[in-house]
Amino acid sequence: MLACGRELAGYDLVYETYGELNAGRSNAVLVCHALSGHHHAAGYHSEGDRKPGWWDECIGPGKPIDTERFFVVSLNNLGGCHGSTGPSSINAGTGKPWGPDFPPLRVRDWVHSQARLADRLGIDCWAAVIGGSLGGMQAMRWALEYPERVKHCVVIAAAMKLSAQNLAFNEVARQAILSDPDFAGGHYMEKEIIPARGLSLARMVGHITYLSDHAMASKFGRDLRSGTLEQGAEDLAEFQVQSYLRYQGSQFSSSFDANTYILMTRALDYFDLAREYDNDPVLAFRHSRCSFLVLSFSTDWRFSPQRSREIVDALIAADRPVTYAEIQADEGHDAFLLPIPRYLEVFSAYMRRVGEDR
Amino acid sequence: MRLDLTHIQRWIEPGSRVLDLGCGNGEFLELLRDARQVRGTGLEIDERNITEAIYRGLNIVEQDMDQGLSNFPDQSFDTVVMAHALQAVHYPDRVLEEMLRIGRECIVTFPNFGQWRCRLHLGTRGRMPVSKFMPYHWYDTPNIHFCTVKDFEALCQERNIRILARDVVGNGKTRPLLASAWPNLFATTAIYRITR
Repeated sequence: MLACGRELAGYDLVYETYGELNAGRSNAVLVCHALSGHHHAAGYHSEGDRKPGWWDECIGPGKPIDTERFFVVSLNNLGGCHGSTGPSSINAGTGKPWGPDFPPLRVRDWVHSQARLADRLGIDCWAAVIGGSLGGMQAMRWALEYPERVKHCVVIAAAMKLSAQNLAFNEVARQAILSDPDFAGGHYMEKEIIPARGLSLARMVGHITYLSDHAMASKFGRDLRSGTLEQGAEDLAEFQVQSYLRYQGSQFSSSFDANTYILMTRALDYFDLAREYDNDPVLAFRHSRCSFLVLSFSTDWRFSPQRSREIVDALIAADRPVTYAEIQADEGHDAFLLPIPRYLEVFSAYMRRVGEDR
Repeated sequence: MRLDLTHIQRWIEPGSRVLDLGCGNGEFLELLRDARQVRGTGLEIDERNITEAIYRGLNIVEQDMDQGLSNFPDQSFDTVVMAHALQAVHYPDRVLEEMLRIGRECIVTFPNFGQWRCRLHLGTRGRMPVSKFMPYHWYDTPNIHFCTVKDFEALCQERNIRILARDVVGNGKTRPLLASAWPNLFATTAIYRITR
């Protein structure tokens, strides 16, 4: 039974694991992905791979989530488009792709499905549930829904709920997709087309919110990619940042499903940690039994340090063990994926504590 | 461990909840946790100290006291400790008020600027004291609000802060009698247990 009241007869979850589960089954760590993430979080699948998994900076031998020490589970969430059941899967009832008829999901649905995955893997209690951004929201939800199954909760660059500005950006992204004629009301798969322009535009908007002003300035400045701004020349000039964004958009539109993007952004919009707890985050966190690490990045304006401090303050008021650091980083929200020395240091230090079970 | 920290240990109830403002590398909270099963939280702003304290398995919050402590609820800790930081905050009186609001009891330690060496240095050389104990020049020191034992007690009286106990650290390993008898002149570090 899903939060929306509907039921899914069955579903697949695709996942990867790194490291070895110990005899006591006490070293398992769950990695929750963000908006556009998936199960392939670390390492390379083949020698031909251009890039490693999306969180390779943090998962691996000697890295913060040390695979010599932990058994790491990383899945593609329900509703995703990288192998887990989602809008692009075939609906057994109709024999057609689910498309826009796939049930809407909430963060809690992901957490419940992850708990069933844990059951399958024989993991009674996670040494840690870890996530950045939307992943951090799943980690917090875990701490409230399954307090006895989480020892440590690591929440990176997240928030207890979206701000009006966050909601607004998500709406622009969705409208970009919905207004693309190739979206065809979500039934594009049956017509064998993809709403590439809409999806690309959605990603471009999203991408701007992942970077800081400073990061964009230092990466692109006002550099031109083509054309000239000299007087007397009539041809159009194109800035580097324009071509970068378009490239990001087009890459994304060929690898991500539009219905999934809509589903994921809605799950993000609807998430409100304390809604069922009288809108009181302190009351909410009193249900948790784990220790928390909360991290934020100074130039993140999508989920700013202030959003993280709200989490920390609620945890303090709820008398729950919490460690917090604000990492100075120029890269904005994206920083949580990057090898920033102090970030890795603090993260590693905390994960060592997780490994020693303190 | 600094002498003032070993001194104040005995005032901390086993198993109690302690907030350590300016906890450094967490050495003291670790001791309290291991020796007295204290549930501690530390506040710190120095990056290196924070990492070290996390390695010790402590709960550390990166927060600047000078930006306020309003995120800590009233009477939410049994004891609030601030060791050797009073002289480094922008508004020591406000921080004290906040400590008393957050904790049932507070413990404050600070270097005593009334100690005879400081007086002698200032009196004879006419320059701000620089010593092994306070190794900064006036222009680069983090210690911006020096006070004496008498100054602190005057503030307590003015603000109706109850002094439950006073302890001192003098020169040398053992607590010299002189520092106990004439703290304002002989204590290098003053230690107060206060409440409201």
